[in-house]
Amino acid sequence: MKMDLEQLRKTAAEVAAREEVKYLVGWKQGTYGYRVAPAFVEDAAGAAELIFSPLCTANLATYLTLAEQLPVPRGGEPDDRKVALMVKGCDSRAVTQLLVEKGIERDEVVVIGCPCPGVVDAALLAEKYPETEEPAEMKWDGENFLLIRGGEETKIARNEILAEKCRLCRYPNPVVSDIMLGEEVETWDLAEDEGVQELENRDVDGRAEYWAEQFDKCVRCYSCRNVCPLCYCQDCILDRLNPTWVNRSVNFSENTAFNIARAFHLAGRCIECGECERVCPANIPLGKLNRKLAREVRDKYDFEPGVDPDAEPFQASFKPDDPEDFIL
Amino acid sequence: MTEKPKVGVYICHCGINISSTVDVDAVAEFAQKLPNVKVARTYSYMCSDPGQVLIKKDIEEQGLNRIVVASCSPRMHEPTFRKAISEAGVNPYFLEMANIREQCSWVHEDIEEGTAKAEKLVSASVAKVRLLEALETKEVDAEPAALVIGAGIAGIQSALDIADAGFKVYLVEKTPSVGGRMAQLDKTFPTLDCSACILTPKMVDAASHPNIELLSYSEVEEIKGFVGNFDVRVRKKARYVDFDKCTGCGDCATECRVKDRFPSEFDQGMGKRSAIYLPFPQAVPAKYTIDPENCLYLSRGKCGKSPKCQDVCGAGAISFDQEDEFVEFKVGAVIVATGFDPFDASRKPEYGYDDYPNVITGMEMERLVSASGPTGGKVKIFNGEEEIEPKEVALIKCVGSRDTSVGNEYCSRVCCMYVAKQAHLIRDKLPDANIRIYYMDVRAFGKGFEEFYDRVRRENVRYIRGNPSEIFKRGNKLVVKVEDTLTSTPLEDEVDMVVLGVGLEPRADMRGVMDLLRLSQSPDGFFLEAHPKLRPVDTATDGVFLAGCAQGPKDIPDTVAQAKGAAASAMIPLARGKVTINAQVATVNEATCRGCSFCVSICPYTAIEMVTVNRFGNEVEVARVNEALCKGCGSCSAACLSDSIQPKSFRDSQILPQIAALGVLK
Repeated sequence: MKMDLEQLRKTAAEVAAREEVKYLVGWKQGTYGYRVAPAFVEDAAGAAELIFSPLCTANLATYLTLAEQLPVPRGGEPDDRKVALMVKGCDSRAVTQLLVEKGIERDEVVVIGCPCPGVVDAALLAEKYPETEEPAEMKWDGENFLLIRGGEETKIARNEILAEKCRLCRYPNPVVSDIMLGEEVETWDLAEDEGVQELENRDVDGRAEYWAEQFDKCVRCYSCRNVCPLCYCQDCILDRLNPTWVNRSVNFSENTAFNIARAFHLAGRCIECGECERVCPANIPLGKLNRKLAREVRDKYDFEPGVDPDAEPFQASFKPDDPEDFIL
Repeated sequence: MTEKPKVGVYICHCGINISSTVDVDAVAEFAQKLPNVKVARTYSYMCSDPGQVLIKKDIEEQGLNRIVVASCSPRMHEPTFRKAISEAGVNPYFLEMANIREQCSWVHEDIEEGTAKAEKLVSASVAKVRLLEALETKEVDAEPAALVIGAGIAGIQSALDIADAGFKVYLVEKTPSVGGRMAQLDKTFPTLDCSACILTPKMVDAASHPNIELLSYSEVEEIKGFVGNFDVRVRKKARYVDFDKCTGCGDCATECRVKDRFPSEFDQGMGKRSAIYLPFPQAVPAKYTIDPENCLYLSRGKCGKSPKCQDVCGAGAISFDQEDEFVEFKVGAVIVATGFDPFDASRKPEYGYDDYPNVITGMEMERLVSASGPTGGKVKIFNGEEEIEPKEVALIKCVGSRDTSVGNEYCSRVCCMYVAKQAHLIRDKLPDANIRIYYMDVRAFGKGFEEFYDRVRRENVRYIRGNPSEIFKRGNKLVVKVEDTLTSTPLEDEVDMVVLGVGLEPRADMRGVMDLLRLSQSPDGFFLEAHPKLRPVDTATDGVFLAGCAQGPKDIPDTVAQAKGAAASAMIPLARGKVTINAQVATVNEATCRGCSFCVSICPYTAIEMVTVNRFGNEVEVARVNEALCKGCGSCSAACLSDSIQPKSFRDSQILPQIAALGVLK
């Protein structure tokens, strides 16, 4: 696919200029290397810096729920303008899931869909092509990625640096959008989820051992929670003091409690955008944990989050024939 | 202004039920030292009048304002103690019960362990009672009308009783006629009254009663609301016959191009009916119905040059363009009298019901011996060449009952007697036949049952104890393979005819009614009553009552008794004109509710709705609880992402300290 930057910026400028739009959230080049930063565009002029490239890994849907609803000054009118948001396929599932959970209302957002042929794993990329200070550009080029740095173009095979979430992606095209940019991309042959499969092949002790090792690394920075588009409870149980469900201390027991609690709170909600794993400074394979639960929900309850905006929220629905064989 | 809590703790001996494994005096001594506890006492029976007086006296003399009763499960006596303390001037919701019987003394053998646990349970209750809030009960108006679902003998009886008391009744029946299973029966045990003769007058009464609106061939589509105020929507299925014009003359059925082609439901498929039909001659209402699946005109769009029924109907009642209609009304109470399904004998393939025409079920036998049945009351079988009277007849009991292999552990309660009755009726019609009954047990428990059983045995009917393992064919005969377990003799009994005494099962379509009214099933699959002994006609849904076999297998007298009981219970809100609503309902903290509506979708009682409120100038959606509908189950609270919805008396701020006092939470 060729993403036409001109078209993207033109559309974004038109949307950002709309009366009903407060601001538009998109991607822009970061300050150095492979970095990409979120851009908050409030007028047509601001759209000139927007990009969409294989480096645009971040799921911007998380900004939808971060905005605070401020009290309206006496005599003032509430600001009910919309937020425009650029989404890839996976990001759009977060939007859909937010709609299902009424985290946002459909008329509060303008969704600009960007069909996505897959983004890169920046860590893998940096490993193979070390990051330099100079900002780098990247493009899709047929079956390859094109890295443009210092006027030099490097062709990199897609499979070499494709992000894991993209190897497993079933929804490269946005499932919800008001405006779609460019043409839909064709879905690709899915890789087997070897990570989850490998874990499932282990016995209980083997799995416990694996996760004990992983959770032991956790530094409890809560980056995973903060970046997650679906971790948006204003009153998170991790922050509660009375009762203190999870203690502040960083140790294996509390780390496990935290990670398990988060995984369970995301069961049937996680849309597998992989942001938690990307931002984890301790390199805990959180995606594996979430995908395992997503697989359970899919197999047992025939439910997939973030696909149908009219679906009943999975964790808040009950059917008399729901399986319960796992209840001891 | 909140008063400082002054707690009284009352520990019950429950005779020796509690005191044999819990040192109640030690518990009282322990409780005395707990914070805010003013007085702690023990008594042999706290629920007795002197026990209650003890509490009341302490309230007056010591100024207690919170009460903990450590005794049995709150299920039975919470209302007792609520009433007692409210009589002494304390808000009835300032009561907490510590269950030291079912959850403590009954499960422990060691006194030390039992006492230690009782002390923990008491300290947990004391921790909570101090934090309870005063609640007020409210009342709302009740609609003086009732809905009865199902017009078999149970539904008819309930409807008649309520209507006779002067209340409006909507009687909804799924099939074209009222009467239900009882109308299909020939004679009734043990008195041998003719079933139709005693039922049809009631059927006619139900249809003609000025207070009863009979909605036959109709189904309840939707029930919303709560006790006293149910909004009901009923689908009246198209009969394709104008109800008001049809005179019931029957010319249409006689002339129907597909006359007598289809198995009659009423005759258990042994008789035939036309595509336009009256289920049986005494059907009420006596109005014909077209079966749209089999009617040539309705299924194929063409019936000769013109449909014959239309040509022949003098009243001009045939109306092929009729459509389903909907009626809506309001009632204060609902009675579920949806009946049962006979056990499907195909599920016991070893008895060959599907393979051998001379293996029939009890329901089929009823039609066969009935004078209005397909054979005019003659017991005949087809031996492959001609119709003959059977010489050797076997009846088998407990088919599909007391049989875990088909998932029915329960006794169907009627088979012992109906099989005995059928043996008697066969003896009546075939004086020379050899009749035997294969049985596991004979349960002749009702009034006149044992006498009847005795009479049948004296009529030369052999009772052989044994549960047949197989029925197979040998020549023209059926062979019942069985062991006579009284003499340990294996038998291969050659007979002409086998009657399977099939049991009663929950209706296959009961799920629809369950969902409509949010009812539950007991382990046997029938509708679950609110309490097996003390509230056998009530359900967990207030204002919804059970009558007849929908609640469990029962015979006609029991069904009628329960129907009358359900009618009397249903009339309580109708007669009172008001219903008291539960005070321990969920409440929403509108300041923190984030409007996700998880609680709305999880609520089993549809008690929560979303409303728009102004929050600091912003319009936001928040949940709001309809207190009349809420049962205080707490499902919403579990689903709430922001702890914004909590049941009163069971708030986190109240139960977490209770849990903490047990020593499991810091």
